[in-house]
Amino acid sequence: MSAVRTPREVLLNRVAVVAVFVALFIMLAPIYWIASTSFKPRNLATTVPPTILFEPTVAPYVKTFVKRSQLRGPVEEEVYEAAPWWEQLVLDGGEKVVRSPSGEVKPSGYGQRFMNSLIVAVVSTIFAVSMGTLTAYGFSRFKVAGKDDWLFFILSTRMLPPVVVAIPMFLMYRVVGLNDTHLGLIILYTAFNLSFSVWIMKGFIDEIPREYEEAALVDGYTRMQAFFKIVLPEAMTGIAATAVFCFITAWNEYAFALIMTNRNAQTAPPFIPSQIGSGLPDWTVIAASTVLFLIPVAIFTFLLRNHLLRGMSFGAIRK
Amino acid sequence: MAEIALRDVQKFFGPNQVIKDMNLVIEDGEFIVMLGQSGCGKTTTLRAIAGLETVTEGTITIDGEEVQDRRAADRDIAFVFQSFSLYPHMTVYENIAFPLRAVGMSTEERDREVREVAEVLRITPLLDRRPSALSGGDMQRVAIGRALVRRPKALLMDEPIGALDAKLREEMRAEIKRLHMARNSTSVYVTHDQIEAMSLADRIVIMHDGVLQQIGAPDEVYLRPANLFVAQFVGSPVMNVEPVQLSANGDGAHVHLAGDGTGFHFDEGLLSAVPRDAGRVSLGIRPEAVHLSHEESAGALGGVTTNIEPLGSHDIVDVRIGEARLRARTPAGFVAAEGAPVWVSLDTGEAHFFDNETGLALREAH
Ligand SMILES: Nc1ncnc2c1ncn2[C@@H]1O[C@H](COP(=O)(O)OP(=O)(O)OP(=O)(O)O)[C@@H](O)[C@H]1O
Ligand SMILES: [Mg+2]
Repeated sequence: MSAVRTPREVLLNRVAVVAVFVALFIMLAPIYWIASTSFKPRNLATTVPPTILFEPTVAPYVKTFVKRSQLRGPVEEEVYEAAPWWEQLVLDGGEKVVRSPSGEVKPSGYGQRFMNSLIVAVVSTIFAVSMGTLTAYGFSRFKVAGKDDWLFFILSTRMLPPVVVAIPMFLMYRVVGLNDTHLGLIILYTAFNLSFSVWIMKGFIDEIPREYEEAALVDGYTRMQAFFKIVLPEAMTGIAATAVFCFITAWNEYAFALIMTNRNAQTAPPFIPSQIGSGLPDWTVIAASTVLFLIPVAIFTFLLRNHLLRGMSFGAIRK
Repeated sequence: MAEIALRDVQKFFGPNQVIKDMNLVIEDGEFIVMLGQSGCGKTTTLRAIAGLETVTEGTITIDGEEVQDRRAADRDIAFVFQSFSLYPHMTVYENIAFPLRAVGMSTEERDREVREVAEVLRITPLLDRRPSALSGGDMQRVAIGRALVRRPKALLMDEPIGALDAKLREEMRAEIKRLHMARNSTSVYVTHDQIEAMSLADRIVIMHDGVLQQIGAPDEVYLRPANLFVAQFVGSPVMNVEPVQLSANGDGAHVHLAGDGTGFHFDEGLLSAVPRDAGRVSLGIRPEAVHLSHEESAGALGGVTTNIEPLGSHDIVDVRIGEARLRARTPAGFVAAEGAPVWVSLDTGEAHFFDNETGLALREAH
């Protein structure tokens, strides 16, 4: 494409390019900030003005995973020499690694929280997307009595901020024993995401010509087979886009995770800031656990990027 | 191969009746073309036969078995859609093989069938392509291949080449004809292109507003239209239809156009089924049967040309006679200018008479 452009349009185009770069900088700055802090020695993390050049260390990442306590005095030479490299990094920072009586390193709990986050986000995403797709298919292809009312009702569940129901949910969960369980969070996140998933998937499925399924029906397939062999592959773009959005929502959710969980099923978002609690805050550890926390979403989005780019047009120009 | 029959079929969408009292028997191996304007119910009829649409009333039989309550999958009929007919996520090969997977055929057998059909349709080189990499014509070729591969009892096609450009349509028309000759499958083909209908059909079914107007061989619907609708729908340029009065004249009658005092003479033999009462009949005559001349001759009426439409090989000339208007087909350049006086005569053997009230053709039953 090289359509004729007037000087005015050329100028506007330049301005737009500059604006994009400014926006890009504003969006990337916090990420750079967190990533750089996660590699700083603790004493450089909070300097004013900020330290730009420093010798990077992985100490914050080691500290993220092990349980530590403050050293009272200097470390003995032979203990320091005997320690593995990662333990030396902790000792350099004036802390020691907490070990069980049998000598095993005690974990900080971050790894377990991270796993919890993965389990809850992945399972709730699978539920929300699969149920949403089936529901959307039904609404898209069949006569449903009161269809528009149902769809509005489904949408209306998103019309109030979810925290509004936090207290009643908490009380109900306590009665049925779902507090601090994976299942409890999975149900909650599935419920949040379902309305979104139904609406987005309906848009995508509406775009799939009925002829595709009808051809399969005439060719001897049942509607169920036609759904799995024809509709699902055709709806993959929509499914990918919906899955990314649902995953991000569940992955980042903070308020309910904070209220509903404390140990067993606690996810990473409420855990990360809770590390500030004891003693002076160690921002490098918080930064390191945050960087690790960002990685799964980045990977997931990267893997589905082709689908997402097409999905952004919401099926409008699919061919 | 099979015989398909529709008996008293009615179809409503809510309060709208889209098919009215449809009775139609499609014989084994016959190529039927359904012709009609947009929205007249052609697609709905086809979908009802395929089982994609239920009928509100009536029966549909395939080889004598009632199928109106059977699922599409159990009717063993293939359907070619106008567009979106191939699955974008499968290659051409997989698209053609897809119907065979439903019946659980062995891999080798399936491969053989797919390749055979591809050979017949001359699409073998395309087998590994995705539909998005095909031209419109090839796409529809593949779609037809997918329909044929299963050897269904009947093949239904809904404007399969309607979306192609004129040149390609002509090519595909010949191809479809050739395929039908080779396979002799019972086929129902929907179109609103008359030329397609004329060239492909064993019999044409003409529909209007959900009502079947006439079934007949192509020359029959052209030469002996059953009613005014068919008369004006089939043939291009459109047949002239003018209300007329009849007055006795020797061994026949004068047929007067509005505002014309003299009238054209028709022999009695041509008028045996035509009532003489005033205001009851219309004359229908194709522009090919209206002859213009620069010289007066016996029985010709004087008129004035009002519009000339040059079409290359010939012209269509509008002539005003009294208050009536007739269109005539003349050799190119025959009439030089509008407003010229001409003499008009009719090929009375080619004329049709229609009842103004019912629209039915007035003609002696044979
Ligand atoms: N699912 C439906 N619900 C309601 N009305 C319908 C439905 N399908 C078709 N109709 C109506 O039925 C009538 C006949 O439609 P149909 O598609 O059979 O026409 P057609 O002859 O195939 O026209 P075209 O040449 O435009 O394809 C139209 O008035 C259409 O609006
Ligand atoms: Mg149609």
